[in-house]
Amino acid sequence: MAEVHVIGQIMGATGFSESSLFCKWGVHTGPESFVISLVDRLVAEIPWEVGILQLSEKDKPGINSVSSALPLICSVTLGKRCSLSEPQFPSSIRKSWAAWKLLSGVREGQTQVDTPQIGDMAYWSHPIDLHFATKGLQGWPRLHLQVWSQDSFGRCQLAGYGFCHVPSSPGTHQLDCPTWRPLGSWREQLARAFVGGGPQLLHGDAIYSGADRYRLHTTSGGTVHLELSLLLRHFDRYGVEC
Amino acid sequence: MVMKTALSCHLWGGVGGHGSLELGRWPSLSLSSQGLEEGISQITSKSQDARRALVWNFPIDVTFKSTNPYGWPQIVLSVYGPDVFGNDVVRGYGAVHVPLSPGRHKKTIPMFVPESTSKLQKFTSWFMGRRPEYTDPKVVAQGEGREVTRVRSQGFVTLLFNVVTKDMRKLGYDTGPPDTQGVSGPSPPQGLPR
Repeated sequence: MAEVHVIGQIMGATGFSESSLFCKWGVHTGPESFVISLVDRLVAEIPWEVGILQLSEKDKPGINSVSSALPLICSVTLGKRCSLSEPQFPSSIRKSWAAWKLLSGVREGQTQVDTPQIGDMAYWSHPIDLHFATKGLQGWPRLHLQVWSQDSFGRCQLAGYGFCHVPSSPGTHQLDCPTWRPLGSWREQLARAFVGGGPQLLHGDAIYSGADRYRLHTTSGGTVHLELSLLLRHFDRYGVEC
Repeated sequence: MVMKTALSCHLWGGVGGHGSLELGRWPSLSLSSQGLEEGISQITSKSQDARRALVWNFPIDVTFKSTNPYGWPQIVLSVYGPDVFGNDVVRGYGAVHVPLSPGRHKKTIPMFVPESTSKLQKFTSWFMGRRPEYTDPKVVAQGEGREVTRVRSQGFVTLLFNVVTKDMRKLGYDTGPPDTQGVSGPSPPQGLPR
């Protein structure tokens, strides 16, 4: 099995209009979850604990009325939601879910809240140290970020969402991750300017997956700066060049 | 802003990450007096010329050994200096991983200071000379538990590393091309030495 070490820091962020910022970050590996909105609503209401391999068309209550052309839905016993439209997806999903395994390190976290005194860059210096073992290249880890601002009263407001793939070549990389935030109607924008708040994503997977983005209308936020060093092990044994 | 004229720096070369659970505790190999994992620098004042530079020029010489890159060592810095009343207060904490690839690396790291939440506490701590500090500066090298801290970033420290690794390629690790450009990290504002 090949191994990937991601060692580095979330350095900070620039370009945001607010000054006291913190960042919630997470790493996602494995296949994208294509959440179709209709199915998504159904899934949200019907919690399933069905194991992947036992799933079949007749097992899904509430779906029988939906056209069979819709992709199969399953929920992993841990409660994650995903759906894929591949015909032989039970075995492929089992393979791709098992492809990446986190051996050590924390997969997600939240940085400190920083108020910069010099310049406009908020510095977090948040260490990231992850050790993955992998059997395949698909589902290369993605780092997703949510930048929030906190005011003096302790209220938090969303400043931007962003994601970047963990680099695939060994060495040290400086990454600049641009962010965006959802823009509501003009009323919501006005309310956000005066009172704060504003629309947020219901499901965080829209940050790092491409499905269903066509419905979003967003505006850009600032940029998050990261420095990540990659250490790859045994990739040449499998003939992978990176 | 208070003018910082004299600073002393505590340098800790050591393992990042949280305590007893991880496999990546790297014991220091070198037992000579130069193989210290912690150190305290001299007190320096700003230079009189246009650069207004603060120079420590503190030597670090340490060797680590491990079987797993997880828990790669980090250098944790704590900078202290006198305030208006003459008390020694903390001026900044910062941490950075020791670079992974062999070669010469220059890193400029931002320093930040914990901040009190209420204005009254800020005034009291400024007046009494007791600023909020971390009880264990190594907290800065970890990710957990920092989501509740509010900090203020002020200032930068520049470090220069020369890294040599042994047997990484033999064990199958690929660290990528040697990175000898010399400058990485955020660029400091004007006036600080490069």
